[in-house]
Amino acid sequence: MTAVTAAPARPRAPHAASAAPLAAARLLRIELRRNAMPWILPLIAALFWFDSYRPSTSQPPLYLLRTFWNMGQGHTIIDFGPFVAGVAAWMGSRDGRRHTRDLVTAAARARYAAQLVTWAATAIWAVGAYLVFVGVMFAVYAHQGVAGEPPWWWVAVGATAVAAFSAAGFAVGAFFGSRFAAPLAAFAGFFAMAESSQTGFRDDSGWALILPTNSNGNFQQDSGIFYHYLPDLPIARLMLFAGITVAALGLIGLPARAGSSWLRWTAAAVTVAGVAAAGTAVGLASTARLGPEGIVIPVLHDAASDQPIRYAPVCGRAAGVPVCLNPAYQRYLPEVTAALAPALREVSGLPGAPVRVSQVGALYDNGDGERGQAMTISGHPPVLSLPLGALGTLPGPDGDHGRPGATKAFDQTLGLMFARAFVGAGNGAGTPAQQAVQAALMQGMGIPMAAQPSVLNLGPPSWAPASKSASGAVYAAARRLAALRPAARQAWLAAHLTALRSGQLALGQLP
Amino acid sequence: MNVEISDLTRRFGRTQAVAGVSLETGPGVFGLLGPNGAGKTSLLRMMATVLPPTSGRLRLLGRDPGSFRPRREIRRRLGYLPQSLGYYPGFTVAEFVEYFALLKEMPPGQVPRAVATTLEQVGLGDKARAKLRTLSGGMLRRAGIAQAIVNQPELLLLDEPTAGLDPEQRVAFRALLRDLGQRATVVVSTHLVEDVGAACTEVALMERGKIVFHGSPAELIARGEDTAAAGDAPLERGYSAALAMARSATPTPAVTKAPTVTKAPPA
Repeated sequence: MTAVTAAPARPRAPHAASAAPLAAARLLRIELRRNAMPWILPLIAALFWFDSYRPSTSQPPLYLLRTFWNMGQGHTIIDFGPFVAGVAAWMGSRDGRRHTRDLVTAAARARYAAQLVTWAATAIWAVGAYLVFVGVMFAVYAHQGVAGEPPWWWVAVGATAVAAFSAAGFAVGAFFGSRFAAPLAAFAGFFAMAESSQTGFRDDSGWALILPTNSNGNFQQDSGIFYHYLPDLPIARLMLFAGITVAALGLIGLPARAGSSWLRWTAAAVTVAGVAAAGTAVGLASTARLGPEGIVIPVLHDAASDQPIRYAPVCGRAAGVPVCLNPAYQRYLPEVTAALAPALREVSGLPGAPVRVSQVGALYDNGDGERGQAMTISGHPPVLSLPLGALGTLPGPDGDHGRPGATKAFDQTLGLMFARAFVGAGNGAGTPAQQAVQAALMQGMGIPMAAQPSVLNLGPPSWAPASKSASGAVYAAARRLAALRPAARQAWLAAHLTALRSGQLALGQLP
Repeated sequence: MNVEISDLTRRFGRTQAVAGVSLETGPGVFGLLGPNGAGKTSLLRMMATVLPPTSGRLRLLGRDPGSFRPRREIRRRLGYLPQSLGYYPGFTVAEFVEYFALLKEMPPGQVPRAVATTLEQVGLGDKARAKLRTLSGGMLRRAGIAQAIVNQPELLLLDEPTAGLDPEQRVAFRALLRDLGQRATVVVSTHLVEDVGAACTEVALMERGKIVFHGSPAELIARGEDTAAAGDAPLERGYSAALAMARSATPTPAVTKAPTVTKAPPA
């Protein structure tokens, strides 16, 4: 140690307010450099890979379907949350564990300010890592040709959730300054996510929609393809997590050691504001209703969000009829045209037969769930509206799990939907006459009557036939119609199609 | 006077750690001696504004630490080395000192130079980039001293600063203390009377929460002359004699019933 030459006390520069941001930035730089969060990131990365990314790759290459698992069901948050809470608690408990409370308290800068800088560094690492991991995952998706719009709102929700976990964990550490704070916070985070998951699976409406792992109604069949992801529920969840973050950080400023009484009052007000924001978010979620494009919260809903996404359709031909799809489904165009060709050939030349097939966005059906949306034939000239996203199955190697028989199931589902649309059966079982004509048409498309009862099970329960086997009066009439020569069958259909579609034709009136 | 203390008390439950201390001191090195449990650390923590007094009056650097703004001004001019130094093992020596310089609201532009100068002063210039977890106990103590003096404090409170230092470092540290005492008030709490003899201009002896002797080191030495007090050096004998005198004059109980708190603790 060196005794320096005696010098008079240096006049102390008045504390400049402008120096505070620079000082905070330098403190933040030190905290970022010495933060514990980077040490846990490799573990989170591995978990993210195995739990969030890998399972999603078994889904068809649409952002909606790929991210339903990792964003909709909140797996990215599950992967981060408990670890982030634990490490944040470790950082929050630092002054207690390292016995530096007196040193920090004896400094001019409020202890609360120093703690906020430590938390900020922890949160920057955690939220930054979350955004990087999700960004890399999306980049990989883009490289794989995944189509549609990424769910940016849900990314924002995830990032805010990670910040909330860090703030809550940090508060636990700040109040319980021991080495046990970290495992306690991590376990609490894990427990919270497990409970959230269970409640999310159980409750599909009301306040439970606010939970980050509740996927009910968040990701519609064609969100990000035909229409945007509705921001209503994400905004409510952002409010919830921002409220939790603010409330937790406010709590840290309440103890006497934190700083001046003015600062502590401010912290108390911030805590109350955070709790109010979180409570408001839960209240807003309980007012949510399911709209055709997702969860609508009336207070937050902006009509501009309902605007469809513009697109230039991609078209092919099936039995000479143009078949046009959203470009996000372009890779399925060959399978769709192949599946529709037998059906279109079967009704070719009939009045009311579609002259064009156009894909429409799948709308969420609150009653029947994902497969409740029927094909319709409408307009002059008639156009077949094809809600491809509502099928619940997609063909080909990029299809639904690429499972064996998926393409055959897809062909049969499209044939069934087409026949039902043609006879005007709507979304119920249809009249006996409609069922009989439907069965005859399906046989003409190459689906034998004996196989049809099982094919009907591909649709929603409301389509189920009265009989479990291809027998009875309906199938007897269907066999009579199918046995007619094509020209005679076409002539009969041309004469009776209007009455058939309106439900006024009785089974006995079939030939 | 940089330190003005009048009838200061501090209780922890039923234990009275500081029992009516009155003290005034200006620039120079002030030694605070006393056996374990005498109340030195509690007194220093109150002077460091981290522990609110139970009662009494405390003014530091001409300001009242009971109010926020004056307390903040005091803290900007304060250096404090606790008895048990807490530190962040992952920080480098330079980061640790820089961290506390910034917490003391030093102008950020002056911090790097101040850190470098201070580390040279305490002999850790070549260890600036070493992680604290790699340092020996003596080096850690010096890092603690560095964080205490980095802001050129007007009031420097050092609790057992030479604990863990080797003899060579202690000699150097005493020189540093003498130098610092020329422009600031340095209060050194210690068990080691030789530190007091070598560096202090004024000394107080605490026993059971009270100051039982206050004077110069020479006056303390004089207390031990012509007595049978224990000790190898004159100052040690003075220390023992003053302590024995205080013990014979004061009844034993150190634990008394807690009185009503008369002063709200500062934030």
